[in-house]
Amino acid sequence: MSLLPHLVNGLALGLLFALLALGFMLILGLMEQINLAHGSLFALGAYFAYAITAARLPLPPDWLEAWAQVPLGWRFTVAMFLAPVLVAPFGVVLERLMRRTYGRDPLYGLLLTFGAAMVIEELIRVVWGTRDYMLPVPRGISGGFVMLDLIWSTYRFWAAAFAVVAMALVWLVIERTRFGALVKAGAHDSEIVQALGHDLEKLRVWVFVMGTMMAAVAGVILAPVWGIRPHMGVDAVVPAFLIIVLGGVGSFWGAVLGGILVGVVVGLSGAYASEWSMLSMYLLLIGVVTFRARGLFGKKSVLEA
Amino acid sequence: MRADKPVPVVTPAMIVIWLAFATVPLWIERVGLYQYLGVEILIFATYALAYNLVLGHSGLPSFGHGAFFGLGAYGFGLAQFHVAADLWFCLGAAILAASACGAIVAAFISHRRGIYYALLTIAFGQIFWFIAIKSHAITGGEDGLLKIARLPVQLGVVTFNISHNVALFYFALAVFVVVSLMLWRLVHSPFGRVLKAIKQNETRARFVGYDVWRYKAAVLVLSAGLSGLAGGLFAMAQSSAFPDVMSLHYSGYVVMMVLVGGGLVTFWGPVLGAIVFLLARDVIGAFTTGWMLWFGLLFVALVIYRPEGLGGMFLRSARVK
Repeated sequence: MSLLPHLVNGLALGLLFALLALGFMLILGLMEQINLAHGSLFALGAYFAYAITAARLPLPPDWLEAWAQVPLGWRFTVAMFLAPVLVAPFGVVLERLMRRTYGRDPLYGLLLTFGAAMVIEELIRVVWGTRDYMLPVPRGISGGFVMLDLIWSTYRFWAAAFAVVAMALVWLVIERTRFGALVKAGAHDSEIVQALGHDLEKLRVWVFVMGTMMAAVAGVILAPVWGIRPHMGVDAVVPAFLIIVLGGVGSFWGAVLGGILVGVVVGLSGAYASEWSMLSMYLLLIGVVTFRARGLFGKKSVLEA
Repeated sequence: MRADKPVPVVTPAMIVIWLAFATVPLWIERVGLYQYLGVEILIFATYALAYNLVLGHSGLPSFGHGAFFGLGAYGFGLAQFHVAADLWFCLGAAILAASACGAIVAAFISHRRGIYYALLTIAFGQIFWFIAIKSHAITGGEDGLLKIARLPVQLGVVTFNISHNVALFYFALAVFVVVSLMLWRLVHSPFGRVLKAIKQNETRARFVGYDVWRYKAAVLVLSAGLSGLAGGLFAMAQSSAFPDVMSLHYSGYVVMMVLVGGGLVTFWGPVLGAIVFLLARDVIGAFTTGWMLWFGLLFVALVIYRPEGLGGMFLRSARVK
């Protein structure tokens, strides 16, 4: 049996995992807040994308009809960019709530966002019910193609390419802009940054909005791979958390490498025992963290206290 | 110092709580509820007390505790099906299964703190949950173990049948009394003082000379074992064992119970939390399917404004008076 397809699929999945984890890392690494609601925001992104693409919006019927006539490719493209914008306000609200927990034990932030995750998941159930949905994907990027006598999923390659672009954008914002420099400085020493006259509160909101939109983007991209269901938030947040700890809290490349590593391990173990492949990522984490407490690229952080 | 006052073995509060529980079967149906709810509340109160040994008393954020509860449930069922259908033996198996797995987890995580501790407990919890779902041959997979019997209570010469919910309630109450008495003694013993020291400042506790690793491991094993006992009771009450209770959601529910009740500041908080949680489920659930939405909002509000929970608010208002 050839391992190549499993390796390549694992790699593609790993890039998507990395994208999922990066938004989580932004908020954790730059604000030292664990956002367990990341998965729920991810789910919201997927649901909004479904609502937009499938033209199931609370709009006047004739508008909807006109929207449904638009080619699927355009509807999908609009959903991809609009869904994260629609999810962003949830991040703003979450940040407002979390403000109370800054400076306290990081556990309170974790508990708060756990509660928020429950609330968002229940909201999803109230609005969309408990059934599963499939995000309609334009014909150009769905289906499969044959290469090296094997059938490959086209969508996975598109998704992986998109994930790379999105990650590159985040890297540019963090490493190559004034905003990124300020945010990093704020995480390092918030008092100095404030004393220099920068509005740290505003910076924090923007970090949160960025993290939230990344969660939503990941939700839109992963939806056709995983399907859309109320429980998808929890299914997403645990791997995201795991990848960050595996790669090292606060490290951009740690998150990318952690994501790819998890994807590859899940992909390869799927070759031998597909039922059990998800277990491999937990075993990987425990193995790595037992020997390297701070993950692969981790530095000492406040979270250890 | 207050802490140096000897703590009585049995306090008035304890007796009031036990007696209040003992009257429950007399009136619970008259207020529109049902007998089985009382059984569930006692089981979850026991579970929450056991969990609070880790979270509230030692400050260790374990977020995969549902695994131990579930392991107890499976331990009870499997012992009954494959070894011997004896109540004490099966409950022992539930405790043993959960505490053995607790020991494995403890060996890996006891030198961790804070968020890293939390994450590793989540990872281990997910592993046990995953194994429970996928091992169809042993656990029945998603369908679970069915037809678990409510075994009779054998006390030497007399034997009680607990297949009726009221009888089961009194048996669960007996277990609750024993567990709460034991935990009360434990947290007020020298061992409990060390736990408190670890909660306040682990580094300092280590420098004072305590082998912190051993204490943290011991407390997790103990809490896992008692959670397993509650899980065994739950399997008996439900006549079945499902992987659901081991999921991250259910592990979160016990955290919610403990926090809402005020387990961080009071010994009995988790009991109050379990009552509020299950009552909210039934009462709010009767009006709307999204009861968790409202309970979640209550939880969020409490974490933000009153992290000491309902029990803490009650204590504070009692002190002001």
